[in-house]
Amino acid sequence: MVVPLISLILLCPLAAFAIFGLLGLAKRSFPRQDYLSTAAMLVGFVCSLLLLREVVPNPETHTVKWISLGSITFSMGFYLDSVTAIMLLVVTLVSSLVHIFSIGYMHGDPRYPRFFAFLSLFSFSMLFLVVSDNLLGIYIGWELVGLCSYLLIGFWFEKDSAANACKKAFLTTRVGDVGMFIGMMMLFTKFKTLSLYGEGGIFTLAASLNTGDMVWLSIAGVLIFCGAVGKSAQVPLHTWLPDAMEGPTPVSALIHAATMVAAGVYLTARMFPILTETSSLVIAYIGGITAIVAATIAIVRFDIKRVLAYSTVSQLGYMMLGIGVGSYVAGLFHLTTHAFFKALLFLGSGSVIHAFHAMHAHAHDDEHDHAHEDHDTHEHAHGDDDAHGHDHEHGDHDLVHAHGSEIPPDQDMRNMGGLRHKMPITFVTMLIATLSISGVPFVFSGFWSKDAILGGVLERAMEWNSVHHYLLFGMALLAAGITAFYMFRLIFMTFFGEPRNQEMHNMAHESPLSMTVPLLILAVLSFPVVNKFWFNADYVKPPEQPHLYAPQHAHVSPDSKTEGKGFALSLFGVSEAVAAEEAGHDTHVDGEHHGHSPAHDIAMVLSICVAGLGILLSWLFYHRRTLSAESVANSFRPLYNLFWHKYYFDEFYDGVLVALTVWKARLFAQFDGSVVDGIVNGVGRLTRDFLAVFVGFFDNRVVDGIVNRVAEVTWAVGGRIRRIQTGAIQTYLFVVLAGIVLLILIFRAL
Amino acid sequence: MTLQHYLVISAILFTLGIFAVLTRRNAISILMGIELILNSCNLNFAAFSRFMTPPEDISGQVIAIFGIVLAAAEAAVFLAIILAIYREFGSIRPNDVDTLKG
Repeated sequence: MVVPLISLILLCPLAAFAIFGLLGLAKRSFPRQDYLSTAAMLVGFVCSLLLLREVVPNPETHTVKWISLGSITFSMGFYLDSVTAIMLLVVTLVSSLVHIFSIGYMHGDPRYPRFFAFLSLFSFSMLFLVVSDNLLGIYIGWELVGLCSYLLIGFWFEKDSAANACKKAFLTTRVGDVGMFIGMMMLFTKFKTLSLYGEGGIFTLAASLNTGDMVWLSIAGVLIFCGAVGKSAQVPLHTWLPDAMEGPTPVSALIHAATMVAAGVYLTARMFPILTETSSLVIAYIGGITAIVAATIAIVRFDIKRVLAYSTVSQLGYMMLGIGVGSYVAGLFHLTTHAFFKALLFLGSGSVIHAFHAMHAHAHDDEHDHAHEDHDTHEHAHGDDDAHGHDHEHGDHDLVHAHGSEIPPDQDMRNMGGLRHKMPITFVTMLIATLSISGVPFVFSGFWSKDAILGGVLERAMEWNSVHHYLLFGMALLAAGITAFYMFRLIFMTFFGEPRNQEMHNMAHESPLSMTVPLLILAVLSFPVVNKFWFNADYVKPPEQPHLYAPQHAHVSPDSKTEGKGFALSLFGVSEAVAAEEAGHDTHVDGEHHGHSPAHDIAMVLSICVAGLGILLSWLFYHRRTLSAESVANSFRPLYNLFWHKYYFDEFYDGVLVALTVWKARLFAQFDGSVVDGIVNGVGRLTRDFLAVFVGFFDNRVVDGIVNRVAEVTWAVGGRIRRIQTGAIQTYLFVVLAGIVLLILIFRAL
Repeated sequence: MTLQHYLVISAILFTLGIFAVLTRRNAISILMGIELILNSCNLNFAAFSRFMTPPEDISGQVIAIFGIVLAAAEAAVFLAIILAIYREFGSIRPNDVDTLKG
């Protein structure tokens, strides 16, 4: 039952793309590619639901041999465990909703069918990556999603910015992919296989490595993680993701928030059993640094999609941090909750952009009537404060103008404000997602997943008594506070306060049903509805890490762990979660303890505090305006500049790496022009002037001479022999007779 | 009469035939020589059949009959060719028919 279901999940989107491709060859197109692709995704979603029931705690693999080269066999197959099943569900669900959303959002686009075909191809690739049981299959899916990302970022390739962004995304992720490929090859040379599971799989073989190989294994793990750094936009390869926002917003939601960028986290989680202390620490640090760097950049952005993009980068850093500190379940749990609420935020921002965009396009007349009705009922919140009339960001400084001009007006939060009356559904759903990502306690899924990671970090820190992990915990906590701050900044700037651009505001309107329904569904998913899957210790079993040793083996004994966290926690089934969590790295001394370490309590209290602080500050800055963002920015000018320039990563890459490459290219071009061409030309001249004379002489005299002599001899001999042919028939007869007589004599003699 | 007698007669006929074929300048004479050769062969067939095989096996003599019929057909074709040659070249001497000579 499992194999047909997985095959169906994979084949439906592939078929939807193939129909587009094959008809495209015949210069036709299916009339409703959108319905076709959406239906394919929905079938995949239903199959994923069915599959969820099939999954048993023991993972299954279904493998076939693919290529045999001598003694080496590459296999291809499915690996199904609870994590795969949940990932399949998340991908198909988000993809289905994004498809439905796109029907409204992309309406009227000249390349409308192509968009859906690409979405289908992407869904297929992503699902293939998820179910693959070997590194080769994962790599194939990995590159395919990269291709789809390239195609969809550059979907509006008429825009130079989009064309550049898709190239940037492709090339930047390629840097990481090279590392990943080297890592794969390291594993391959060692183990002679790319299969991960089973007797001859990498994990089984790696478990039996001795300590002498640990350096080697760490390097391989870090190199494979490089692929994840590129794909999941971790520092220092994160710069492509914000630029990828040039693509259509549904693409940003599906590929650059919910699924593809999470593939890096998924890969790292899959590689969990071969991570060593060193590689784990590298992953945790990269994740922690990414979380805080991206969060701080997000504070000062004005493009609504860029804020969300940096937020995505930051949250991906969180997940990596979770995996890096051994909180396998927490990392993947955050992946799923993040997929839902971040997709919701992106689709919500898409809805806002659509509302503004329709004004420019004049293509959506059907929705305009609605917009005008709303206008009259709208009342301005005049009592806000006295500073509202003046956009503090505008007058801020010239940097804003230098960079602000790049932001399309319909994505610029400085043009928004007061939209909550115009777009109530979008507002409420986005508010729910924001509460979720900010970590507002207990009723939102984001709180649980973020807390699981924070708790995991702190627990590891206390267990190992390691400075690194305390530091990481501090970073994660700070990032959590900043996240709450900038997310509410987005909400306040977009939906509250006074409309800043009255003309655009007048035209804004709620989006059509096909766009609001996915928002509502995703809003429901931002509540902790999937938690019970993750928090069921029998369902999700974290793999063991045979090469991970605690420095002092200073385990907190189960007795010292406090019991219970109040009914609020058990209400949501968290207690088992933490148990499952600990089962992952507590070396299984005792399998049945149910307590928590105090780490999780401390982490929870602290995370609630920082989230509350972030929201409060945001409220003071951007709603009450009792604090001025401008004056704070002025007093921390260097820091502000650092954030505004995104830590100068792009400047560094442009100024150093790109310039270096161009300089190198020029150097090689000069070398090519002078040395290589010089050699080639010199050899040419030598050949023509010197060698050719000799060869010509030889040809004329020797070769031609032989040929002519042969011809002359043939001519002369022929002239003589010709005489034999007298034409007199009796001569011939005589010769025949003589011959016969001769033969008779010869045979007589014998 | 023994086999030798027949063979001697046959050899004489054959030699005469060869001689005629090689020396005559007239195509008709050459044809006559060929006929002599053929008939010497027929005589051999008949003679060997009579003396060397059991009396009930007459295949050699049947071959001789075939040979005679063949000779008749061959003579007809030969004469037709000679007629055509005469019309073309105005002569029936083989030496005059030499347009294929290189």
